[in-house]
Amino acid sequence: MKLVVAVLKPFKLDDVKEVLKNLGVQGMTLTEAQGFGRQRGHTEVYRGAEYEVDFVPKIRIEVLVDDSQTDEVVDAIISTAATGKIGDGKVWVIPVETVVRVRTGERGADAL
Amino acid sequence: MLAAVTTIPYPSWLNTGDNTWQLTSATFVGLMSLPALAVLYGGLVQRKWVINTMLMIFSGFSAVLVVWMLWGYNLGFGPAADLFGAQGTGFFANMWGHFHPIVTHFGEQNQAVSGANTLIPFHFPTATLAYFQFVFAAITPLLFCGSILGRMKFKAWIIFVPLWTTFVYTIDAKLLWGGGFFAAKGAVDYSGGYVIHLSAGISGFVAAAIIGPRLLRDRRHGVPNNLLLVAVGAGILWLGWNGFNGGDPYYAGIDAASAVLNTNVATAVGLLTWMLMDWWFTKQKKPTFLGAINGMICGLVGITPSAGWVDGYGAILVGLICSAVVWVAWNYLSKLRPFSKVDDALGVIYTHGIAGFLGGLLVGLLADPGMIQYGVSGKNYTAIGNGEGFAVDGYFYGGGMHQLWEQFLAAVWIICWSAFGTAVLLYIVKFLCRGLREPDEVLEIGDLAIHDEEVYPQETFAERVSAMSSGGE
Repeated sequence: MKLVVAVLKPFKLDDVKEVLKNLGVQGMTLTEAQGFGRQRGHTEVYRGAEYEVDFVPKIRIEVLVDDSQTDEVVDAIISTAATGKIGDGKVWVIPVETVVRVRTGERGADAL
Repeated sequence: MLAAVTTIPYPSWLNTGDNTWQLTSATFVGLMSLPALAVLYGGLVQRKWVINTMLMIFSGFSAVLVVWMLWGYNLGFGPAADLFGAQGTGFFANMWGHFHPIVTHFGEQNQAVSGANTLIPFHFPTATLAYFQFVFAAITPLLFCGSILGRMKFKAWIIFVPLWTTFVYTIDAKLLWGGGFFAAKGAVDYSGGYVIHLSAGISGFVAAAIIGPRLLRDRRHGVPNNLLLVAVGAGILWLGWNGFNGGDPYYAGIDAASAVLNTNVATAVGLLTWMLMDWWFTKQKKPTFLGAINGMICGLVGITPSAGWVDGYGAILVGLICSAVVWVAWNYLSKLRPFSKVDDALGVIYTHGIAGFLGGLLVGLLADPGMIQYGVSGKNYTAIGNGEGFAVDGYFYGGGMHQLWEQFLAAVWIICWSAFGTAVLLYIVKFLCRGLREPDEVLEIGDLAIHDEEVYPQETFAERVSAMSSGGE
């Protein structure tokens, strides 16, 4: 099992969610995040004083997938979230030791 | 030793009670724009649009006041311009006032005179009347701002508002309030159900159609960001309406008092009606706060054309009918063309347009000739007492269909002129500003892209890079 983590532009959420649903992904976790990569931040101006804000609003999506589905899910997220402009985000994959469904106690792939 | 002199610091024509109430009610109405509409609309939009919304309201209010002082007031309420050589009661004779500022000492301090059908001279100076009329002129474009939130170029808005006030508002005001054609024919509008609310509803709808919809994402995710501030705005709006309808008799007398009471009871009934209809007739079967606020606004708008001319029964009926009909329109008419095709962000066409239209017609049915407005005369003048009063006879009070017909004609004018004027002015502004919309990439970000400000900035993320130019800190 793998944990796919994606940090993306917020307005891409709807499209990514749809694509993952269509792939049969059973669930996902979403966090509003702030971050920066090579994309520059922005300036905010309050009462004449300029503030540099390096962090820009992002969404962080986490999806647990079976090994066999990992590439498919990563590719789907990338192709859906790409705009070609700097700041599109990143996707990374982490191996997962085990997964337990709290309600039933099922373990491993059964718990996905 | 000095002789005992009794001097008063104002001329004999001035009445302190009238002047005080007029300035107070004007301030109440001003509060309906700042801050009520700013926080009501600001609370209803998504977090990323709050700054833009509030600045549209505050800057629009300011722009209208400058226009009003320099030419707006006299275009709407000054002496007839006699356009195209028309004289007397012809349509063009009294369609517009003369183009003249009120910024001189005489312009502000002389006794107020209006083209309206005033029987007794006003008991306060022009400055009072001009400010009172200004807060009405200002709130009208700010109301229809609610239709076009979340997409309009800020530059286009700030150019459009003065144009709209000049060419749409002042003409409607003159024709219905300034002694113009429809006033002379006998149409009445107590405080602006037509001139303000119907006009705002239509203009907002037309503007939303021309400017185009919000981003699809913004429409799908258009949830409010702060219902507490919506409550603050809505509450100030309701109580501010005591000035809106209570100030329009121009005298701090019994008609002002009854207009205030009627306004409040119609509003209460409107609020309860919507809440109960949500409770009984929606799929969720739940009473909702935002629904109740919609009903409240329907009651306020609906009673506006008739506040001092209906009795308490009439006011209750107005609140009931306007809220119920707009509820049905909001839930069902909105699924039909053209309503389903136009992105009227906050639904101004329903709660202001339809409620104002209905309220104006209801004057023709429910006006009670026993409800007297003192100090004015009119086409439907009914001699009361010594002949100093004015009352309107509705159909159900033995007045025939005449008043309803006049109300209908005036409504048709307001609808056509507001739609036409808004469309023409927007196309001019579109040309001047090279478009009416912000580009999509700006719309995706909202406030930060347009103003470099966000409504809840987080200090954790912000690092100061330049001091204030004044070096004050």
